[in-house]
Amino acid sequence: MREKATTLYLGPQHPGITGNMMVRLKVMGDTIVSAQTEVGYLHRAFEKLQERRNWLNSFTLMCRFCVPETDPMENLYARAVESLDNIEVPERAKYIRVMVLELARIATQLMWYAGQNGSLGLYTMGQWSIGDRDYILDLFEQLTGGRVYHMYQWPGGVRRDLPEGFEGKVLRTLDYLEKRLKDYDDLMFSNSIFQKRTQGVGYVPKESIIEHGVVGPVLRGAGIRSDIRIDEPYEVYDKLDFEIPTQEGSDIWARALVRRAEVHQSIRIIRQVLDQMPKGEFNTSIPNPMKWRVKAGDTYVRAESARGEVGYYAVSDGTIHPRRMHLRGAAYVHAITLLENILPGQNVADVSAIMNSLGTCAPEIER
Amino acid sequence: MYNDKNSKKIVETIQNWARSHSVWVLAYGTGCGAIEIAPTMTSRYDAERLGFRGAATPRQADVMLITGYLTVKTVKRVVRVYEQMQSPKYVVGFGSCTINGGMYYDSYNTINLLDRYLPVDVYINGCMPRPEAVIAGLAKLQQIIREGKANGAEKYLENLEWYKENQRKIAPNWIAKAPDLNW
Amino acid sequence: MKEIKDKMIAQINAAFPEAVNKAYDGNRLDFTVHKDAIPGFLSHMKDQLGFRHLSHIAYVDWIEENEFELVYLLWSPTDKVKLFVHTRIDRENPVMHNIDMIWRQANTYQREIKEMLGIDFPDMVAPDEFILEDWDDIPPFRRDFDTLEYVNRTFWHRPGREDAQDVRETISKRSGEEIPDFAKKYSR
Repeated sequence: MREKATTLYLGPQHPGITGNMMVRLKVMGDTIVSAQTEVGYLHRAFEKLQERRNWLNSFTLMCRFCVPETDPMENLYARAVESLDNIEVPERAKYIRVMVLELARIATQLMWYAGQNGSLGLYTMGQWSIGDRDYILDLFEQLTGGRVYHMYQWPGGVRRDLPEGFEGKVLRTLDYLEKRLKDYDDLMFSNSIFQKRTQGVGYVPKESIIEHGVVGPVLRGAGIRSDIRIDEPYEVYDKLDFEIPTQEGSDIWARALVRRAEVHQSIRIIRQVLDQMPKGEFNTSIPNPMKWRVKAGDTYVRAESARGEVGYYAVSDGTIHPRRMHLRGAAYVHAITLLENILPGQNVADVSAIMNSLGTCAPEIER
Repeated sequence: MYNDKNSKKIVETIQNWARSHSVWVLAYGTGCGAIEIAPTMTSRYDAERLGFRGAATPRQADVMLITGYLTVKTVKRVVRVYEQMQSPKYVVGFGSCTINGGMYYDSYNTINLLDRYLPVDVYINGCMPRPEAVIAGLAKLQQIIREGKANGAEKYLENLEWYKENQRKIAPNWIAKAPDLNW
Repeated sequence: MKEIKDKMIAQINAAFPEAVNKAYDGNRLDFTVHKDAIPGFLSHMKDQLGFRHLSHIAYVDWIEENEFELVYLLWSPTDKVKLFVHTRIDRENPVMHNIDMIWRQANTYQREIKEMLGIDFPDMVAPDEFILEDWDDIPPFRRDFDTLEYVNRTFWHRPGREDAQDVRETISKRSGEEIPDFAKKYSR
């Protein structure tokens, strides 16, 4: 019997969707025939607003680009302005930035643990990992004053030095997390339902990888060892010793294993950073922000976020306002063309899990 | 028995008391504030002990959290979802951007005043509001429900023309027809 | 790094004599190409020189020169070199060649450019609307689109905001406090 394809709207109001976006599915029975992403529910026109702000005011918009992971964006802005204006950053500031970036990476991965398992019905993990993520947010709060939006890594260094006794607190949190990660493994990775629902699901073919410009854990889950922290080292990543985990499967399971290993590597990096961190200044003085004219020119800086490459193209025309700021989000390619490409043939029940494992972040797509 | 004035009052008081202890929140993350809903609902802050829990569909939900800025495209969906919800229903405006546009006051795609498009019962201030602030806001909502003052839905029906006119102003092609509540 | 870059510049100049190189430090290569040569140039970069990854297509509106600029940002994973390919498009007649057969994700970038800048890609297959819905003004990311004027026309502002342009001054005026010395230099 020939079935007729039905149109199914997934989102924007749907508990399984990641953020505020929509996927229009054509389904036959339980199988997806075609998919079409529709975004734009979160378009705030940041890049237009930045053209109206001065160089320091537009910095405060940066962290709002992607809400689950705010620090790589701040880092990009700071490095873009520094490279345009030839500002030297003190060594200590670079180490502090790396520490903040890696803490943010762990926090994002813990958020991902919750989302990935929530999409498969394992809600216990959400209770655990979101609760543990709060320990990192508490560290951020002590360091920067904010839980989610930090506005900490500004051009010229960081906003404040580490508070007294902060290193000890970080180390205690890391010890606790390492203990907890064992529990996560027991609950999640040795769970046979999780294995059955992820192995072989959401497969990204090797030929799609170059064609679609895939980045981050999705790329490493397909066996390609690529990471901007190694390829194009920024801050002090070239002085640190860490591994780039890869897996061969290229399905949700492989990407989950990559992310799990990345949390361990981040913990290792932060331990080294705290070990090696020099004493000294944490900030160089920048011109009066109200009258700051950044030298004319253009630049493109890249960073590795927990979801993959984020890049920032900045143009200055020598006035107090940025001429053009343009962000390349990691989810930008994953959530639209790649998702539309890999969804046909999959089961409707797996869409949410696939979107989570691709690292979809709706506010970053439309900005 | 229900018809005389006193027993009606008693029944309403009991209804409101019961409603205030079982408020189901619609799972619709309309903006950045949705990131603080996860800690509020899970183990650390655990809003479920106050009777708040997630609801997947509008028809089962009592309260809609507008978590942050609303873009023009989202407003249309939010209005539609709000009209699908069954009375009693409440709206909580979450973050500075719902109050006056916040830092997006000059963005061409985000609305500035939420209360021109939907009746708001409680505002929570901050960018972004901490989970404690969210819980304080939700507790305030419970209080006004108990006092019978959370009558945003009635206000919406009374002033439907005014709200529809404002909604039509930003979405002229969308609600071209007369207001239609039968989604 | 220097040798790799020099070798690449020589190769590119041999294949595309009209491409203009601009020298930069570090791992940045920079070329300016005529817009009609873009599809050929990019596919040559991808197939022959190892620039397999299209990072982004950035766009700038140079309204003073009556031109749009597109910047194709490429990355070579083997040689670790970043390549910037600039091209200029006339602002009066904005038409550009489609490159989504070289990289599929360029389709998304071009949809955004089409909507935000109004550049047309005649042979691109994609739905009409991407981010905006029912947009009836000029494309919003053009420099001559005034977003604040649009907001004043379309939305409402809550009163009490207009005098708060300088927070420090407003607080001192409302509460009768002196502005502290250290803060004076940041005041406008």
